[in-house]
Amino acid sequence: MRICIFEDDKADNLYPLSLLRPTFELRCGAISLRERILRGYPFARDACYFVRDYLAPVYRRAAGKPVNDPAWLKRDGLLLVNGRMLALGDWPAAQGGDEIGMRGDDVAYARLSAATVAALDAADPLALIEQARSKVKTVNAPQTLISYPWALIEHNNECIAADFGALPHKGVHGELAQMSVIYGDKEMAYVAPGAQVHPLVVLDTHAGPVIIDEGAKVFPHTRIEGPSYIGRGAHIVGGKIREGCSIGPMCRVGGEVEESIIHGYSNKYHDGFLGHAYVGEWVNLGALTTNSDLKNDYGNVEVYVRGELVNSGSTKVGCFIGDHTKTSIGTLFNTGTVVGVGCIILGGSEILPKHVPSFAWYYNGHIAKGGGFDAFTDTARTAMGRRGVTLTDEDIELLRTARKMTKAERSEAIRKARR
Amino acid sequence: MADSSIADRVRQVVAKQLKLDLDKVTDGAYFAQDLGADSLQSMELIAAFEDEFDIEMDEDEAVKVKTVGGAIEFIERVTAEQHG
Repeated sequence: MRICIFEDDKADNLYPLSLLRPTFELRCGAISLRERILRGYPFARDACYFVRDYLAPVYRRAAGKPVNDPAWLKRDGLLLVNGRMLALGDWPAAQGGDEIGMRGDDVAYARLSAATVAALDAADPLALIEQARSKVKTVNAPQTLISYPWALIEHNNECIAADFGALPHKGVHGELAQMSVIYGDKEMAYVAPGAQVHPLVVLDTHAGPVIIDEGAKVFPHTRIEGPSYIGRGAHIVGGKIREGCSIGPMCRVGGEVEESIIHGYSNKYHDGFLGHAYVGEWVNLGALTTNSDLKNDYGNVEVYVRGELVNSGSTKVGCFIGDHTKTSIGTLFNTGTVVGVGCIILGGSEILPKHVPSFAWYYNGHIAKGGGFDAFTDTARTAMGRRGVTLTDEDIELLRTARKMTKAERSEAIRKARR
Repeated sequence: MADSSIADRVRQVVAKQLKLDLDKVTDGAYFAQDLGADSLQSMELIAAFEDEFDIEMDEDEAVKVKTVGGAIEFIERVTAEQHG
């Protein structure tokens, strides 16, 4: 079989996390949505991805598979899967008759035979599915589609548990120092080869599994509650990693973190609370940066999505921070705050506004212009170089495009701040 | 030749923002080296110029301006473009 994972028109709902990456590269549990989808099709003989056009040059390099290739679509029968699908053992069947699976108004998947595909002519998956609608039966799809950033947090616990279940091995294969302890069922922990758990660390597996991935280091005076995932090469430098945390590769994390996802290559080295949050890549949270994840009236948290406040339906929602954003010491985020890509936040005693547009600065209590694109990329190059990653020309072009795309909302926010 | 009213207003904005005596704000003075402006104060200067002259400055161009005289020339040009 062949599988195509595509983005649909709700990718922007996942802003700012989706501004620089396809929706299906977002993390939930130990892996991305894409990896979770592909896990259900180990015998797929080919894969192709369709992403927003401006993402294609960078993603093509990362994917190692065809990206936005209309010719690939027409070559044979295939299974098309919405990249927002959170596949948890309920993968759409790879074999069977033609079928379109709908989740509400959204296409969750489409299974089309070679004959059906041959009779159609479309340049992208959604157009192909639209053409097939009149000829193919439609069914209700049971799978979850991630529609908003907070949904990734809501499903993180069950994804970590599922990912632990999928591991071929359990137990300690790395280093678990004397005077560190797995508190609870020892079979509910996995310390990968090359991982180090230093003395005076507690891995608490009473409420779920704890995964310490390859090369990760957990330093003394750290307590990690399951379900939690500590990614490849990450350092946990002391503090409380409470239930429901996914710490992506190469992060440096300390302080208190609860039910949060840090995508990868980001730093929250110092004390400060991060709860029910999703933090992108190359973010640095200054010491004592803290977010609220619960309103004082215990009401549902509202979050800015596409310029409008949306009721999350949840009482526990933290902040969503785009890639390459930096916060100063002592920054305080309001409940349900959205901070875009490439922001500089100089917080203080005041609570920040609930939305800071991408590439804006926040200081002295107002949103303002940034320090110019060249200075921004210089900083990004330095931050990435510290982790041995090169900022490529394609990366710079992607960032430049993202900055242009977000100019209108940034200008509007600056104008409002000056009134 | 510089528009004297714009030039004077630029110097006054710089003096006020950086808390300097006006006579220190010479056309040849560099914002960072001579007047002690850090990166945040530079951003505040851009915002103050925009407010003073009711203009919008492109931040990529604005951050390339290093001297008071350069700011006067830049603001004269932008003012002419945006206000005729």
